[in-house]
Amino acid sequence: MWSEILNLTFFTSFLSAAVRMAVPLAYAALGETVSQKAGTLNIGLEANMLGGAFLGFAVTYWTGSLFLGFLGGMAAGSCFSIIHAVFSIYLRQNQNVTGTALNLFSMGLTSYFFQVIVNQTSGTYPQIETLPILPIPILCKIPVIGEAFFQRDIVTYLLYVSMFALLWFFNKTSWGLSLIAVGENPQAADTVGLPVFRMKYLAALFNGIMSGTGGAYLILGQLGMFSENVTSGRGYIALSLVVFGRRDPVGICLAALFMGAANALQFKMQALGVEMPVQVFTGLPYILTVMALIFSAVKRNDSDPAALGKPYIRNMR
Amino acid sequence: MNMKQKGVFALIRVAAVLLLTVGLILLSGADPLQAFQTFFFGIFGTLHGFAEVFVRATPLIFLGLGVAITFRSGFFNLGAEGQLYMGALASTAAAMALPESLGAMRIVLAFGAAFLAGGLWVLFPAWMKSRLGISETVNTIMFNYIAIMIVGVCIRGPLQESGSSLPQSAQLPEGLTLPQLLYPTRLHAGTLLALAAVAVLWFLLYKTTWGFEMQMVGLSRRAALCTGLPVSRSLILSAVIGGGMAGLAGFNEVFGVQHRLLEGVSGGNGYTAVLVALLAFNHPIRVMLASFGLAALQVGAAAMQRSLGVPSSIVSIIIGFIVLMILCGSLPEILSEMRGGFSKQKGGVRHVE
Amino acid sequence: MSLLEMRGIVKEFPGLRAVDQVDLSVKEKEIHALLGENGAGKTTLMNILYGLYQQEEGEIFWQDAPVQIAEPSEAIALGIGMVHQHFMLVRKMTALENIILGLRTEGFPMIRREALAAKVEALSRKYGLSVDLNRRIDRLSVGEQQRVEILKALFRNAHLLILDEPTSVLTPQEIQEFFRILRMLRDEGHSIILIAHNLSEILEISDRVTVLRDGKRVCTLETAGTNERELSQYMIGRELVKGVHVRKPADMGRTVLEIRDVSLWGPDRIAQLSHIDLTVYSGEILGIAGVDGNGQLELAEILVGLRTQSGGSILLNGTVLDHLSSRKRWEIGLTYIPADRHQDGLIMDADVCSNYLLRRYYCAPFAKAHILQFARMRGNAEALTRDYQVKTPSVATQARLLSGGNQQKMILARELQSEGSLTIACQPTRGLDIGAAEYLRQRLLERRDCGKSVLLISTDLEEILALSDRIAVMQGGKIMGVVENAPSLSVETLGLMMGGMTLEEVGA
Repeated sequence: MWSEILNLTFFTSFLSAAVRMAVPLAYAALGETVSQKAGTLNIGLEANMLGGAFLGFAVTYWTGSLFLGFLGGMAAGSCFSIIHAVFSIYLRQNQNVTGTALNLFSMGLTSYFFQVIVNQTSGTYPQIETLPILPIPILCKIPVIGEAFFQRDIVTYLLYVSMFALLWFFNKTSWGLSLIAVGENPQAADTVGLPVFRMKYLAALFNGIMSGTGGAYLILGQLGMFSENVTSGRGYIALSLVVFGRRDPVGICLAALFMGAANALQFKMQALGVEMPVQVFTGLPYILTVMALIFSAVKRNDSDPAALGKPYIRNMR
Repeated sequence: MNMKQKGVFALIRVAAVLLLTVGLILLSGADPLQAFQTFFFGIFGTLHGFAEVFVRATPLIFLGLGVAITFRSGFFNLGAEGQLYMGALASTAAAMALPESLGAMRIVLAFGAAFLAGGLWVLFPAWMKSRLGISETVNTIMFNYIAIMIVGVCIRGPLQESGSSLPQSAQLPEGLTLPQLLYPTRLHAGTLLALAAVAVLWFLLYKTTWGFEMQMVGLSRRAALCTGLPVSRSLILSAVIGGGMAGLAGFNEVFGVQHRLLEGVSGGNGYTAVLVALLAFNHPIRVMLASFGLAALQVGAAAMQRSLGVPSSIVSIIIGFIVLMILCGSLPEILSEMRGGFSKQKGGVRHVE
Repeated sequence: MSLLEMRGIVKEFPGLRAVDQVDLSVKEKEIHALLGENGAGKTTLMNILYGLYQQEEGEIFWQDAPVQIAEPSEAIALGIGMVHQHFMLVRKMTALENIILGLRTEGFPMIRREALAAKVEALSRKYGLSVDLNRRIDRLSVGEQQRVEILKALFRNAHLLILDEPTSVLTPQEIQEFFRILRMLRDEGHSIILIAHNLSEILEISDRVTVLRDGKRVCTLETAGTNERELSQYMIGRELVKGVHVRKPADMGRTVLEIRDVSLWGPDRIAQLSHIDLTVYSGEILGIAGVDGNGQLELAEILVGLRTQSGGSILLNGTVLDHLSSRKRWEIGLTYIPADRHQDGLIMDADVCSNYLLRRYYCAPFAKAHILQFARMRGNAEALTRDYQVKTPSVATQARLLSGGNQQKMILARELQSEGSLTIACQPTRGLDIGAAEYLRQRLLERRDCGKSVLLISTDLEEILALSDRIAVMQGGKIMGVVENAPSLSVETLGLMMGGMTLEEVGA
């Protein structure tokens, strides 16, 4: 058995599966990072993803266009994200309660409308074509990692682009600096003339677009069909990746890859008929996240934005 | 904002909920009037349906109480799901492991084990918050997944039914389940335990010094600290009681409904409980009412699905929407503030005099 | 010509006209002081000018053109910069990042750190505002943070600089240096509005001064033609009298509180308190004077048990307090009136009745076997409300809805109902109207007269002089000296000690 596991082909397909599972998570986690840097902790990430998955699927099913499908997914994710933003920024409600309510709301809405569609198609479960693979010349020939990372679809490549773009955004641009200031000290940002509320909404919109894409990708890039609660907690997983990846774009993508690897390992070992409860592997990343939380607290490494989760009320100072 | 405007605003929100409901029913191709009829018949029309409301409300009551009491002391517990799983696991393990000679005592011990396990499971994040200042929001969610993993491992390993390949434990031994109250419905004695828990928590919160501490700590941790209240103790006490309640929900599901431990034993109720606590403003008696209301919605919607094909997920939509409507409650205040009503005072204080 | 004209400005908060028909004009190249007591409306007026609040009535003219300032960004665009009393800095960012925050610098949206650093460096050299640009704000001293704030405004081409109580965080030496910078700025063509309530500083630095009282403008004067006496009359509306309270001679008896060599280290091992030795006797009020932020708050919190000292020991009536919880400390006689009554003193969302009982809810007769006795609790609340003249609709009213004076009376009622031998009072009258402040001081004096002790921590020198039997001065986390509050004590002595000279040095 172990020889099978240590075999190179196995490793290649394992890595490939890991990347595959990481992509939707990384999209959502990158979006959430931007939102959290601006001070909004959106637990409704699950709602964004599920909404994105459903509308992405529905639009593609109706129009036959994957491109429009992704746009639909982004729109749905943005919708939920903006609702969350309005409740937490404008109405100053508890962000966690709002997020939890949205998760339930989204689960209900998507299941309901999916059922309506199924009823119309007289009970058959509709399916769609998924994204085509576009190998990148040369790079895809690199041994081991070539197939896993560069023999994929356009949306996966866009994730790589997003990662580097965000890295640049946070470290090199004044926009990134401003965004961080809004999450750390909105009052200070306000007094230097930054549009605090607009930036928070924009961050929420970005989060919606990213997590909506992540959700849509799950269907349009991988599964090809929707089912009730298809994201099954991926939004919560992405939340943990934000912490685990320390709100750093590269860190988050690595964390997502790690999470994907843990899942892939579980499936591979199940497929090989390994005689042990493989759930341990899926649980591992959560345990590591908790340890990461403890570690950064003990080191007094104050990586949480100082105003995370707190509504900014301009007149009350 | 006078009373009249407030009333109008409330009416608008109620109307929005009704409108959404009617719209959704129409969309699924059913007749709203018939649907409402089916809905109410589903709840009150048959003994089975009526009993089912109690069966479904019971775990929500336990979980809602658990979440509400932790919210009261300012601990934002999103971990009811995990606490439920740990409670279910511990009580199942206790029932399986305890010697048969103990007889029905085993069920009492299993009850205690569930409470302890749920309480212990929340203790980690509570300790991490009070000692290390780690925010409990993400943390409690992580503990949910860890709990689910542990249960997953146990029902495939040590607790798995021998000779079965399904991920589930063996059936509980004869006589170790909660007694049925109204055969042939599923109504069981767990509901009575839940109602007792409501009374106990109400008394604890409003009549005892411990409840006073929890409330004060929840309203202002800093001021409580400065006036010498035992803040950490209070936080941990409320967390443990809250976790214990959620653990009891797990006990209830295993001993009252499923009669064995299996995956998905919570049915996602751990998160719904957050909304129950919110709808109830963290008040134990209102938690009970909200749980019954929600359970009735579920039962009625199930009837609508059976006879009219209206998807039962309509309940999730409506509950989510109702909560959002409640959260809209701060709108008038904010609007009047924007119109230049009240604003600065140090610390945002409004004065009388 | 005037640079800025504000005419007939009105700003209302519920039940309060914070700014009432105020006119203000600032000339080019002028240091204009805005003088007034706490709550006179100075900061509110400036927040309107900076676009943080909108006035209900009145107009603003900038270089003779009418302007609407709805956002801080609009004020910045006009050339107005403001340094708030509580600095508006992002603590986790470097000084440079704070200075360039929100600006469209060259190469936008990219940040060219080296080029920008050179520019800021040049600016800081020009005005002598030295700052380590690459350090995080939370690693800088308060004085440096202030310089960052000023650089931040100047880098935005501020023509008019609003400074809100800038000297309250500085030592006298630093103040002199700071004034030198202000003069240089004025000579370079800037105008400055300086919010202050220290009279001698205003006389020293300003060209003109506008006095506000209770939200109204009292007058605008040429500084050269006025003096401290006149200004204080305008500001307070009465003459400043030293020691309005009749104090019986102190009957100092046994030692109540003994602070032995207490030190506290902050992050980076910077000493926030170093080697504090202090004794409080029964029947006296010991005042601790000093500029805000010199360790007084830390000392109080250590005494009450909210912080743990890094070294040293504290004894109350001979009992070592070091490892006791704050509840235990209260039980053996230590009561506390915190400086921040909203955050520390009261649970604002709880009712009056509960707030009275925060100390004693678990004791008989309010609780029996952990069960609360509501009738007794209510009775207690009603009695205290009467005794301490707390104005509240009922004892079930939320503490939040009471006025500041009544909130403070509630704290007093709660803390003084016990037989405690020592009261630690921090800024007990800050932000209160004169009547409430007077009431509070009387209560503290009564306490002293019946043989109890009070440790009074206040930045209000007038209050310290009026109440204390002995005065200790704190500066930079150290006790500069302890003096008797005798008629021969000169305010200068205290001033020099607050500025960092020890008693011996002052005497020599």
